[in-house]
Amino acid sequence: MATFELYRRSTIGMCLTETLDEMVSSSTLSPELAIQVLVQFDKSMTEALESQVKSKVSIKGHLHTYRFCDNVWTFILQDALFKNEDAQENVGRVKIVACDSKLLSQ
Amino acid sequence: MAEQGGLEGSQPVDLSKHPSGIVPTLQNIVSTVNLDCKLDLKQIALQARNAEYNPKVCLGWLNSSYIFFFFFVCAASDSAAVSGSNLLVYKITPQRFAAVIMRIREPKTTALIFASGKMVCTGAKSEQQSKLAARKYARIIQKLGFPAKFKDFKIQNIVGSCDVKFPIRLEGLAYSHGAFSSVSGSHFYGFGSHPLLLCPLLSTTFVPCTFKCGNACLYEPELFPGLIYRMKQPKIVLLIFVSGKIVITGAKVRDETYTAFENIYPVLTEFRKNQQW
Repeated sequence: MATFELYRRSTIGMCLTETLDEMVSSSTLSPELAIQVLVQFDKSMTEALESQVKSKVSIKGHLHTYRFCDNVWTFILQDALFKNEDAQENVGRVKIVACDSKLLSQ
Repeated sequence: MAEQGGLEGSQPVDLSKHPSGIVPTLQNIVSTVNLDCKLDLKQIALQARNAEYNPKVCLGWLNSSYIFFFFFVCAASDSAAVSGSNLLVYKITPQRFAAVIMRIREPKTTALIFASGKMVCTGAKSEQQSKLAARKYARIIQKLGFPAKFKDFKIQNIVGSCDVKFPIRLEGLAYSHGAFSSVSGSHFYGFGSHPLLLCPLLSTTFVPCTFKCGNACLYEPELFPGLIYRMKQPKIVLLIFVSGKIVITGAKVRDETYTAFENIYPVLTEFRKNQQW
């Protein structure tokens, strides 16, 4: 099954990658196993976001640029307003990368 | 439509050209141009801003997206001088729209860019804007490193609209122009694909009609609320609505739009609906 690797750049993903790197370089973990862990991370992130996250965020801003290529949407927003149930925040520049999760099941 | 009213107020209408006193507003211009070089659409989609490529979800990319057929045609014995065999490769790509869709904000337009180098530019409000937009797209393509030229620019369609500001009796208009004449429904290819047309019962209720000069109108409110008027000279299609709003399409030059409107205007006043309060 294919996975999306885009969550690896999140804070939790970066931390995992760093830890695995350390373990591989100190030979406590084989590189193959490290890769397997990362793939499992991809799967688990997708699954968790799908089934365990209920909160919704709305993002509103000026669309500076968009792109759709290879089934990946890329948006660059300026002066975006992030809103969820109990907080909101203004961000000067945001890049959104979005993939279609339906493609994973095919 | 509101801005049209503003235009009328701000500058006097040339009554010799527009006897009705109404100037149709241009709403959309479609133009084509040949950039005269082969394009790598994927590269364009990845490098240019505001580009879409493959809007139809293409599932093939996860598996192999190409199916290759190999035909080995053995060379005939008498042409053995030719190398051993001919190899024919057929590439079947999955269903997708084979163009990059790109947009710019000024002039606000959309372009379809094809791998052959042909480009379609839509959405401009005037001929000059359409050409300017097409030039901007060509420049974007050039900046991405393609030797794009600007050949055979042509306006393909002009859509205008206006408001005569009185309601129109569409049934009367359709009727008086030879209602239930012998023109068959299939004459109006605009509806040729409509499934209802396949029903013989319904097709007999059509009110297609022709002028002696070859103009034709179709009013079928169950299919479309407007009356479709196909003018022969100039060859223009007008959509006429009860509200008095008119859409004029099919022109290659803006004067055709204006002429078509001036031709139809007397007919519209003839079938002006008397307001019943």
